[in-house]
Amino acid sequence: MAIALDRPRTVSRSARALRVRRWVGTALTWVAVVAALLFFLGPFFWILTTSLKGNEDYFAYPPVWVPADASLKHYGALFTRSSGARYFTNSLVVSTLSMLAALLVSLPTAYSIARWRFGGGFLSLFLLVLRMLPAIALIIPLYIMYKLLGLTNSYLGLVIVYTVLYVPFAVWLLVGFLRDFPVEIEEAALIDGCSRLRALVSVVVPIIAPGLAVVALFSFIATWNEFLFAIVLTGIETKTMMVLVTSFTSGGTDMFYGEASASVVLGVLPAFIVAFVLQRYLVKGLALGGTKG
Amino acid sequence: MRKLSILAVVLAVGALAAWLGLPVNEVKAARPYEGTTIRAVVNAEYVKYSLSLVEQAVYDKLGIKIETEVIPLDPYVAKTLLEFNSGKSPWDLIMFGPSFMPDYGRHLEPLEPWIQKLKLDFVMDDIPDVYKKLMLRHEGKIVSMPYDGDVHIMFWNKVAFERPDNKKKFKAKYGYELAPPQTWKQWDDQAEFFHGWGWDGTDRKLFGAGASYKGNNYSYYWWRPRFFSYGGQYFDAQMKPLINGPAGLRALEEMVKTIQYYPPGVMLFESEEPKTMLIKGEVPFLFSWTSTGKRVGNPNESVIVGKAGFGIVPGAEIDGKIVYRPDLTPGRSMAVSKYSQKKEATMKVLELISDPEQSLKIVMDPKTIMDPWRVSHFKSEKFRKSFPGADEYLDAILKTFPHVVPDPILPGASEYMRKLSFEITEALAKRKSPQEALDSAAAEWDKITDRRGRDKQTALWGEKMSEMKQVGIEYHPDWAKKAK
Repeated sequence: MAIALDRPRTVSRSARALRVRRWVGTALTWVAVVAALLFFLGPFFWILTTSLKGNEDYFAYPPVWVPADASLKHYGALFTRSSGARYFTNSLVVSTLSMLAALLVSLPTAYSIARWRFGGGFLSLFLLVLRMLPAIALIIPLYIMYKLLGLTNSYLGLVIVYTVLYVPFAVWLLVGFLRDFPVEIEEAALIDGCSRLRALVSVVVPIIAPGLAVVALFSFIATWNEFLFAIVLTGIETKTMMVLVTSFTSGGTDMFYGEASASVVLGVLPAFIVAFVLQRYLVKGLALGGTKG
Repeated sequence: MRKLSILAVVLAVGALAAWLGLPVNEVKAARPYEGTTIRAVVNAEYVKYSLSLVEQAVYDKLGIKIETEVIPLDPYVAKTLLEFNSGKSPWDLIMFGPSFMPDYGRHLEPLEPWIQKLKLDFVMDDIPDVYKKLMLRHEGKIVSMPYDGDVHIMFWNKVAFERPDNKKKFKAKYGYELAPPQTWKQWDDQAEFFHGWGWDGTDRKLFGAGASYKGNNYSYYWWRPRFFSYGGQYFDAQMKPLINGPAGLRALEEMVKTIQYYPPGVMLFESEEPKTMLIKGEVPFLFSWTSTGKRVGNPNESVIVGKAGFGIVPGAEIDGKIVYRPDLTPGRSMAVSKYSQKKEATMKVLELISDPEQSLKIVMDPKTIMDPWRVSHFKSEKFRKSFPGADEYLDAILKTFPHVVPDPILPGASEYMRKLSFEITEALAKRKSPQEALDSAAAEWDKITDRRGRDKQTALWGEKMSEMKQVGIEYHPDWAKKAK
């Protein structure tokens, strides 16, 4: 009897201890998550609010966390006085074209390597070598070559260089996807009368869409954030958003804190939106591509 | 009747043509380069903004539009020289740091032939000697005009120096009157005195002095005025570095010893951080670029408007006389590219943006960090009344000019300065002793000289050394011991 009475008490004590441990664990996790969010998003929050503040609020004490009379005037100035619209458009055009070009080049390349070992082991290794070269080592010869070919200060020149830079990563990722793709499905499509191209486009592509999304996202964000080639190979007509951001933030911002902050917000936003929209595919794609192949 | 009608039509058409034509001719006369667009290149958005202040005047008087490209500061020199060295340039008007004249000079169009051809007037009498002698020429020819007259001056918060309690305490401790420092000894005493308590009468823990000790050239600019006032010089006549001699060592040892009186983080400070601390009343004094004056006088951010003092950067007392050696920091110049297809129009633009009236607009605007450089800027009544204390501020700059020391204006100037700055910051961080740091810097300087061609560098340095001698800057190995 005594045993029967003691048992539930022991069980309930250990259950309570377990609950407390769980609760403490959850609380600590939340504290860590909030601290990490504050650490990583705090500066961005400050930049965002500074882009909406008036000049008198930049150095106010106590600090103005959220401006009472928020205004978009710095964004307006960025787009009028600092040619922000031109730079923003350039970034959008170059990033989108580079993304499309990377997809168009990498998919058939990866397909040929995965299905027929095109180029033996050499092609895939050669592609990897392209990734091993630091960009800074390429910049001077590339600049001289571009100057001779008249490709400086042109969208085409930028798209070519970014495509060449991102294709190796894209090919290696897609080869993994394609090797895991059941050949039987593709063969069934061929037996049903599809051409090889039709089978690739109508059967393979929809199934490896997460992988393509990763390639697209990577190319877009990497192009959007790229600075070295953007500064050396562009001119006044083709400068990109990252160059504008740096022209505000290097060498002292002086009195242009609002516009500098607005340029950072605009510099980050499109990449953030694209990443947010494609994140479902990104996680799936990276997980699949990473574990198989 | 028919003849009359024809005559009437002819007269009407003539009158209409005259009415339409007259203003067109007038405009043509007033805007002789209507339809021309020139391209300028600058190294920051605020410089582009400064050009926008005169764009309308350029268009109204010349009919020329300026399209300005901004290349950020860090890659600016590399990118512009890359373009120039390819033998072409997409720009007509180029901004550059005069310290890089040996690198840029051969790509710039000499002004004198155009002055004669177009009867241009750059009002040279209105430019201080120091710029004319040290900053505008390449191989003896004038190739540029100043745009931003960078020098360092001292700024202080009068509250710190005028509170009776502070004066009494200081005299009791150091045995002399508290006043804005004139020598480095006084500077260091006062930094120690003011550090760590509310010298403004509050209970805040304030700091002893402000400075920028970051290793990307800043620490070098804060070491240099001490070094030169203790008799230092960059090289001897054979291009042997003199930076690790007694003057350099004394300057760096003092900086290492007193760093404890500066705000935490001073090792990471660039130009704006200490300025912000000054205008927030957190440091009693500092020396910095003259554009600081416009921030000091801006009531939107400054709590010391009307309470700020301005003066020459301290020096060293040598044989009873104070030797001042403030920095002539890089500044900015404007020039016409040798590869421009629109040289005539660009020369006219350079003349106009450099003229006393237009350049005043640029240097007065509180949103630019362009500093005054024409004598007339300093005398301008409008500028002298632009904020409380503006007259004292402008006088302090004018008083500084005869004493300034330029950068080592040699090919690779930036490399020399960066290597030295890095080593100075190493010593400030106590990772190396001052002597070790300066010895390493001297060794690095030798490597740069060898890489650039010792004979060529020595010949160029010979010219620069004699220019410096003309303005009174010479090597004095005995001063480091003598200096008080």
